[in-house]
Amino acid sequence: MTISPAADPSVVLKAPALRERSVGYRILAEAMRNTGFRVGLGILLLIVLASAIYPEVTSLSATKISVREKFLPPILFGEKWSFLHPLGTDQLGRDMLLRCLIGLRYSFFIGVTTVVLMFCVGCALGLVAGYKGGWWDTIIMRITDAQLSVPMIILAISILGVSTPSVLTIIIVLGLSGWPLYARVARGLAITERSREYVRGLRVLGAADLRIMLLFIAPNILPGIAFVAVLDVARMMIFEAILGFLGLGVQPPTPSFGTIISDARKYLINAWWIATMPGLFLTLVLVSINLMGSALEKARNRIYGGAS
Amino acid sequence: MSDTRTREPVLSVRSLTVGPTEPGSAAILSDLSFDLHSHEILGIFAETGGGKSVLSRALANWLPPTLEFRGGDIRFKGKSTLDGTGHSMLRPGREIAYIGSRPQSSLDPTIPVGPQLVEKLRAVRPEISAADARKKILKLLAEVRIPSPEERFNEYPTKYSGGMMQRAMIVDALSTDPAMIIADNVTQPLDVTIALQIVRLLQQLARQHGLSVLFLSSSLSTLNQLADRVVVLQNGRVAEIGETQALINAPATPYTRTIIYQIPRIWRSTAAPAVSTRSADQPIMSVRDVKRTYYVRRPGHLNSYNSVQAVRSVTFDVMPRDNIGIVGESGCGKSTLTRLLTALEKPEQGEILFNNRPFNQMPQKELTAARRGFQLLLQDPYNSLPPRMTVGRMIEEGMRIHGIGKGAGMRARVEQAMTDVGLPTAIYNHLPNSLSTGDRQRISVARALVLEPQLLILDETVSALDQSEQNKLLALFSRLQAEKNLTYIFISHDLAMVRRVCSRIAVMYLGELVEIADNRNLFYSARHPYTKALLSAVPTVEDNPYDSAKLLLEGEPPSPINIAPGCSFASRCPFVMRVCREKAPALTAVTPGSAVACHLYDPNEVPQPPPADLRPENAELQ
Repeated sequence: MTISPAADPSVVLKAPALRERSVGYRILAEAMRNTGFRVGLGILLLIVLASAIYPEVTSLSATKISVREKFLPPILFGEKWSFLHPLGTDQLGRDMLLRCLIGLRYSFFIGVTTVVLMFCVGCALGLVAGYKGGWWDTIIMRITDAQLSVPMIILAISILGVSTPSVLTIIIVLGLSGWPLYARVARGLAITERSREYVRGLRVLGAADLRIMLLFIAPNILPGIAFVAVLDVARMMIFEAILGFLGLGVQPPTPSFGTIISDARKYLINAWWIATMPGLFLTLVLVSINLMGSALEKARNRIYGGAS
Repeated sequence: MSDTRTREPVLSVRSLTVGPTEPGSAAILSDLSFDLHSHEILGIFAETGGGKSVLSRALANWLPPTLEFRGGDIRFKGKSTLDGTGHSMLRPGREIAYIGSRPQSSLDPTIPVGPQLVEKLRAVRPEISAADARKKILKLLAEVRIPSPEERFNEYPTKYSGGMMQRAMIVDALSTDPAMIIADNVTQPLDVTIALQIVRLLQQLARQHGLSVLFLSSSLSTLNQLADRVVVLQNGRVAEIGETQALINAPATPYTRTIIYQIPRIWRSTAAPAVSTRSADQPIMSVRDVKRTYYVRRPGHLNSYNSVQAVRSVTFDVMPRDNIGIVGESGCGKSTLTRLLTALEKPEQGEILFNNRPFNQMPQKELTAARRGFQLLLQDPYNSLPPRMTVGRMIEEGMRIHGIGKGAGMRARVEQAMTDVGLPTAIYNHLPNSLSTGDRQRISVARALVLEPQLLILDETVSALDQSEQNKLLALFSRLQAEKNLTYIFISHDLAMVRRVCSRIAVMYLGELVEIADNRNLFYSARHPYTKALLSAVPTVEDNPYDSAKLLLEGEPPSPINIAPGCSFASRCPFVMRVCREKAPALTAVTPGSAVACHLYDPNEVPQPPPADLRPENAELQ
């Protein structure tokens, strides 16, 4: 025997069990040590909190037209700036800060929901295809291929052009175009996992397929995909802005990044800030998400590389 | 070989010391001295991690940058190869050739075998023309008995079997006409009969080409098969040097004595696990004429399949407390049979009955319930346990699946099982990360035991363990058998292990049972020529009653695709007769409790059964 029962088992038991069990916690702790992760988290929290709180407490309106206040520049630029409109106003005199923060709300909500949806649908199908194999695999993967062959923009135009674009339809369009990637990755991992010996051991114990898939294979392969999915939130926010720019996003008067930028194109020369502010917000959010995503990925590799 | 001793040795190592470059660290090899004469095969024994690889690399001037020569001298053909600065001046590959234990990773899979051997030869000897090099490689391929070398020359390494790859590596070593070959554990990954072929080949080549061979191995019984003298290393120091036979019969140091004592014997005593079945017993499991064929798409064809006959007609009964061993070499269908026995796959034909109920008639629910009665223990304890799960949870899993026990009752049963297999209950909440291989294997056993099975199927369960750990687990198995009334099926390639624990043994060849007999009968009076060959090839430190010179097989098992009619062993059998190529022999009882599938024992075919008198029809024996 290499293990000798310790004199006081409770002492030995607690420490390693706690430390070993919460792998997720260890990864987060490892990521927190990364400066990039902390900066990204700070920026993201600040912006998200602002977009959650500011529109609720301010007396300004994001949609009310005020001709007298149109084209006010941001703070410290030009002559007519005011503290009331720190990022200036647009061609109809609406406050840019408020409009950007509301746009961010939609953008962020759509981005996160879409990724969750893609992740769930894609991984579930990929897991079944990879684990079951045979006809399951053939049918699911052919559907995936068919879905992959339709370009996102054409899908968006055909769906959003026919129905009224709303938050729900945008999420559906983005989700539809994104899940095949997750299905492919999950399938590949499930195939490797299926051929591992422990799966054979479990089947001899009498475990049903569903049990093996959900309790054993899923916890082994999904975290890895989830960490990469964080990066996809940023991608989906860009797609949301693209749809808005094409007029297929959240419809005016509700502000969204895409519509603000596309409306402000005409005033780019004399009121540059209208198109720039949403872009600035988008950049900040994307940079912070990418910083966090890559730090998480690195931390995960380090934890599993060291002791898994 | 006493005449060669008087001449100067080919290689002489004097107080060689090698250690890490880090100052102050302990040396890996210290103060080694030995001589290697021409025409001699010198065996070097060391346990795993005992400095074998470092020694072979030091001699071939292949030390990794983290190691350095600290002292001593290596003289090759009378000249010192070390320049005073701790470096060797020897050019590897030319005078000293090296054969490793993993031919798969030494051959480039993207280049056909022949051309890459030619290329390697010309890299060391640029003066040989391409055409001459090709001729030379072809000649050597024929010499190491690769069948139809002209065709094999242009085949890719993936088409070669493990034994053939090892032969190709021998060609690679011989091609530069070295004075000496370093063979590092070359037979380790091979099946016993193939390993013995390679051993005999090396012996013969050493004689023909006047080669000296340094054969490093972690098995004294393998060295016993070929080495003239043996050097026993202990922690990087020479423990003992002597003539092989003398050293094994009368070891001088306690270390060597322990090593020799731990080697399992097959024929030392005639005692055998007795068949303890009562006549009223019903078989727990009966396997009735099962067949399993896999269909694989033929390369380059869209709708044409090759049928791989993995298991063809296997029949046996498993009686309570009667441990049965199923032995055979790689590719004989053992793994497929395991999957059939554990109902992970269905046989194409025939049926398997568990407690008189056939698997294929059970509805899914009943099959799941029946799984409690038979459990499988797998070979690799690192991959066979679910990752990132605590020990207790793993053992519980089976009870959760079958809905047995709840809460504290479940925990109590798990702890009971852990105690039964000798695991401390304190590790209930631990991850198995820090556990040894043997303890991991105990988790598997505990996991099976909580379900209270009648039958345990052990698929090479102990072969990943070292000898002492293996002994402990086998002792555990026999204790559990006595306590819990268990029956075991051992599926293994390890004849010595089977000899110790099984009361009946079945030998498989190419998907068929060729012989089934009780322990004593099989080991002392084996009937089937394949069984005899298998037994003759087992490396041992005792006198083998089966003479490998008479019984050793030529060639390799035929492919399970498109098996020729007649006896499947006919292509390799030393006693083959005409009838063998026409008609497949059936498994027939010769004496009570032992059956063999061979025409030699068929009274209709041969009037007088003793096989020794039969003229071998096959080409000359080795």
